[in-house]
Amino acid sequence: MNNRRKNTMKRTLMFTKGLLAVFVMLALIPQGGLTQKFASDPPFKVKIDFNRWHDTAEMYADMRRMEQAWPKFVKVNVIGKSFEGRDIIAVTINNPDTGPDLSKAAMLIEANVHGNEIQGGEICLYTVWYLMENYGRLDQVTRLVNERVFYIIPTINPDGRQYFFESPSSSARSGHVPVDDDSDYQFDEDKPDDLNGNGVVEQMRKYLPGKGNYRLSATDPRVMEAVPFGEKGDYIMLGSEGIDNDHDGRVDEDDAGGYDGNRNYPFDWQPNYIQSGAMDYPTQLPEAKAEVDFIFAHPNIAGAQSYHNNGGMILRGPGAEAVGDYPASDIRAYDELGRTGERILPFYRYIVIWSGLYTVHGGFIDWTNDGMGILSFSNELWSGEQYFTSPELKEQQKDPNSPIVPQKSRYFFNDKVEFGAQFMEWKKFNHPQFGEVEIGGTWRKFTSRVPPRFMNEELCHRNMAFTLVQAAEMPMIRMGDATAEKIGGDVYRLFVDIANSKVAPTILERVAPNGVIRPDLLTLDGKNVEVISASWIGDEETYKMKPTITQFIDQKNLKRIMLRNGLAGKTARTIMYIVKGSGEVTVKYDSVKGGSAGKTLKLQ
Amino acid sequence: MRRKIMASAITAVFAALAFFGFGATGMAQDFSKYHNYAELSAMLQNLAGANKTLVKLESIGKTLGKWDIWALQIAAPGGVPIAERPGLLIAANFEADHLIGSELAVFIADYLVKNYASNANVKQRLDNYVIYIMPRVNPDGAEFMWAPLKWARRTNTRPYDDDNDGRIDEDGPVDLNKDGLITVMRVKDPNGDYIIDPEEPRLLRKADPKKGERGEFAIYREGIDQDKDGFIGEDGPGGVNINRNFMHEYPYFKPEAGRYMVSESETRAVLEWMMAHRNIEAILTFGESDNLIVPPNSSGRLSSAKQIDLVEFANATVTGANRVGIFAAAGGFGGRGGGRGGGGGEMVISEEMLSQLMAAGGGQFIMGGGGRGRQQAAAQPTSARAQQPARAAATTVNAADIDYLRLISAKYIELTGIRQQPLVVNPEGAFFQYGYYQFGVLSFSTPGWGLPEVQRGQGMGMPGMTGGQGAPPAAGGQTQGAAMMMAQRGAGGGQRAAGMTGASAAAGTGGEQAQSYDRQLLQWMDKEKIDGFVAWTKVKHPDLGEVEVGGFKPYAAINPPPARIAELGKSQAEFALYLTSLFPKVGIAKFEAVSQGGGLFRVKAEIENAGFLPTALGQAVTARAVKATKVQLQVAPESIISGSPKTNSVQTLAGSGDRVKFDWLIKAKAGDTIELLVVSQKAGSDKRSVVLK
Repeated sequence: MNNRRKNTMKRTLMFTKGLLAVFVMLALIPQGGLTQKFASDPPFKVKIDFNRWHDTAEMYADMRRMEQAWPKFVKVNVIGKSFEGRDIIAVTINNPDTGPDLSKAAMLIEANVHGNEIQGGEICLYTVWYLMENYGRLDQVTRLVNERVFYIIPTINPDGRQYFFESPSSSARSGHVPVDDDSDYQFDEDKPDDLNGNGVVEQMRKYLPGKGNYRLSATDPRVMEAVPFGEKGDYIMLGSEGIDNDHDGRVDEDDAGGYDGNRNYPFDWQPNYIQSGAMDYPTQLPEAKAEVDFIFAHPNIAGAQSYHNNGGMILRGPGAEAVGDYPASDIRAYDELGRTGERILPFYRYIVIWSGLYTVHGGFIDWTNDGMGILSFSNELWSGEQYFTSPELKEQQKDPNSPIVPQKSRYFFNDKVEFGAQFMEWKKFNHPQFGEVEIGGTWRKFTSRVPPRFMNEELCHRNMAFTLVQAAEMPMIRMGDATAEKIGGDVYRLFVDIANSKVAPTILERVAPNGVIRPDLLTLDGKNVEVISASWIGDEETYKMKPTITQFIDQKNLKRIMLRNGLAGKTARTIMYIVKGSGEVTVKYDSVKGGSAGKTLKLQ
Repeated sequence: MRRKIMASAITAVFAALAFFGFGATGMAQDFSKYHNYAELSAMLQNLAGANKTLVKLESIGKTLGKWDIWALQIAAPGGVPIAERPGLLIAANFEADHLIGSELAVFIADYLVKNYASNANVKQRLDNYVIYIMPRVNPDGAEFMWAPLKWARRTNTRPYDDDNDGRIDEDGPVDLNKDGLITVMRVKDPNGDYIIDPEEPRLLRKADPKKGERGEFAIYREGIDQDKDGFIGEDGPGGVNINRNFMHEYPYFKPEAGRYMVSESETRAVLEWMMAHRNIEAILTFGESDNLIVPPNSSGRLSSAKQIDLVEFANATVTGANRVGIFAAAGGFGGRGGGRGGGGGEMVISEEMLSQLMAAGGGQFIMGGGGRGRQQAAAQPTSARAQQPARAAATTVNAADIDYLRLISAKYIELTGIRQQPLVVNPEGAFFQYGYYQFGVLSFSTPGWGLPEVQRGQGMGMPGMTGGQGAPPAAGGQTQGAAMMMAQRGAGGGQRAAGMTGASAAAGTGGEQAQSYDRQLLQWMDKEKIDGFVAWTKVKHPDLGEVEVGGFKPYAAINPPPARIAELGKSQAEFALYLTSLFPKVGIAKFEAVSQGGGLFRVKAEIENAGFLPTALGQAVTARAVKATKVQLQVAPESIISGSPKTNSVQTLAGSGDRVKFDWLIKAKAGDTIELLVVSQKAGSDKRSVVLK
């Protein structure tokens, strides 16, 4: 009793305080207009809806609107054609004032290789939009855009994306290269049919009171259940809405395509019987070929994100156990980013594809990591956990009488939160073959694997945030102190500090021995200078105080030292040269994925 | 250059002659020489132009150098549409320096056309089947046989940074003795690993310290260290070997394999063409691997590689070039100086680390690298989804297919008389392996010629000399790794790098009893009076001082003298004809219907494979590479009351008259005509109808 009163009083007090605050604020607003400080956010330059889904053409149109709005930074390039002739676009974000795109580390963001996994494309839209709207507003964004480059492929499977929107088919995972799914020597000849023209292939049932073998479930009348032995129901089930287009006795058995575009990349590619959906050879699909060619033409790509759905995962390779786990130093970089991602993305877990999800051969990020030396993640966007997120609601789902117990929760969400947008109710239909039947009992495709529309913006923002962290942590070479001191005569000793302050290495350990990335080059230029020796030391001061024997860098040409392992993440190293000569000396460290840095010294 | 212009002129003349319909069967083709691209193109155009009904010439794609890759289709029109007939593909010259294959392939084409009218066998094949011939898959690379400077290259011309030092094709061969040929150099060197073979002083072999032998020579590729990196000739022009660029056992990151599977336009052109020709039932390739002279053994493995030691010794000196600058102390991240003891400096790789690196990148990508001290933050399996069991693609011949391969090999040896393999390499990423393991058909590779049989009692235990089992090549990968490891040891300076490679290792260094392949090759050349070995001659080398240049001539060990083309070609053509005689042939052996009363009819059918081969090999069934034979009763699905379904799939049907039965109970009317349709991907199709009574 006492407690309750106390609470009420507290609430009243808080309310009063709140009112007071509003009054104070109102009082402070000067007459005659709002100042920037207390007004709404400044308006956006480009308006894009993040609470509705965009088909391929609409998404491309939005990208081109942004290209027009920010022509200096945004370029939309066509990098290839899909099987059905749609453009595959890559959007480049680069600030030309800080150098051409190829001179800076680039983050590749691609999405939607599975046509039905549409929200990845929405994040791509959001990322371009957010970076541009906030360039000059938020220092972090400004710095990122100035220092890094973004290549964004919003859909690598535009045919599949479009099919997802246009067709009544429940799945549009595949692309549209025809495949004879049922091995009858005909291709894609028995697609799903939408008899009642409402855009969804539904179930069919016939009402036969007292004679059927199905009944309405007590849990929810929308659920059909088989009747137990000895009882009779009121319905029989007639299967899916389709027709046997090819008269072979099977219904809807050969839809468009019939493969998995994300098994067609050229690392650990395995034939169909080992990896189903792999197609006949890697990069057979025009979409995969276009992407592989694009990435080959951009060796500056140092990070990649490939958006998929769903399950709430931050995935890294390898996709198959047989290729072996990554070396420890690569895993350290992955872990650092993956753990950060788990903090940015509630309900997402950081896991390895083969051990945490399933085995994938010939997947995109396996190829980018092992074949191209690009540190790569793949986010499985959206988790079913996000429907009922609070600990209280999660607890309540364990109560069998609750309307949000797992068997019912989907119907609850459909009815009370989405106002029936997702479930197709049973409706009467006059079937050419079966007479009067009922069609329905099916979920629309904009549920389950994709978030409710009103939750999409949060999904876009948090996933983008993780990807921007990765972009910020791509390698970046900086040169620290550089000193020269005379040893005697015209022989000098040089100390040069080289650092990579970011998480990712300039060359992944995994690919260092494989010739995948050109080695980092440490060059020393000087007209009248010969290099007597070069060696790595801990740091200049410790070395001078307590010299340890250093080993020569055992290479023929010490004016052009190759570092096949590059520079690890968060590492500073000091090189000591002993040189003979005079004049100016320029030391430069050049990496393919982390840029370059140099210093010039005078020998005196 | 002049040579090229001449060649185009010749092409034009040939084309013109062909255009005017010169001759009924075309001009006599000249098989007494090897033909460059222009000459080969003219031969093909001539053959197609003069035999328009039998021969179609098409370009299946362009090379990097914009040359057409030619394919001939040889079949007599009429009867079954050509695209639906079982086909034999003959393809050659995936490896640039294998020119004999091209000549044999063209010879076969010519033979088929010439003999169509007179030879009943040839007529029967071309009337019922189709033979496709791709004589030169790698024309850009092949053309180097006619270049002023010749060296053995198997690759195409794609610029490739072999040693990954950021400089492309910067250290190619240099002709020190000015003979227009690139061979090898031997150099007196107290650090060398080799001695002159006491029994054959033209050759060298590895010194055996256990016998008190002290190495006296180092062996290098003929050349100069042009980029001053300590390695001689480690990054010559090109390229990718097309027979290393296909998917089966693709040698990831190994020399000549390309940046990724199917990276080359030649590879892609062939595969795109294969996808459009699912009717291909068998493949015969000419190249530097063999499964015909020595068939797979009873566990389905191919014979091991046989390579020239002199060349491999020289190659071993450059294998470390793409590893210079690897250091193991890179694992910094959070610590200064790379985490390993601060002031450690660049660590020289220990043997153990090296073996890890080798496991990681040198060979297979099966690495398990980073095993030590691995800290994994990523969550371990928590997924509710069932883990798929790990599966691996087959790498040995399917047990169901071995007998076919061995039988065909025996016939090959009988028809050609070839019993002794010339040089053969391990077929990682080779086209014919794709043909069997992934395309799912009988697929062969043969060098197309052989060395004289090694006599017993000469103490030469060469594998496969009796047509029996080759030694299992299982150790190949490991020995290769070991060789590279040894080469790596001196990699820094590169001057001392040397090692023993797969070839010599596989043959065994057991000295007396195992004769080296080099010696066998030399004996053959001596006997046949083939000028295939450059005698050692002293040359002044800018870096090494006095060296001797000599060794096997490029192309000489791969290609027999051109005088042998016609004789070899005839027996290869006979073998090709034999292969087509084995093709499966499905047909409807029985189709009948009996009334059961009440408008019901019992329909029965028997489908037979009257050919020799099964409609799908064991591997084809495993790999689901060949479509099942479709047996479909042409009635409305709902008229079938019971029995077989309307549409049936027969995974495979053995040959020699094997049958499969079907039985339907259907509802129909007397007087209706019921049709049965049988469609097979590689064994033809058939149709039969019956009138219900």
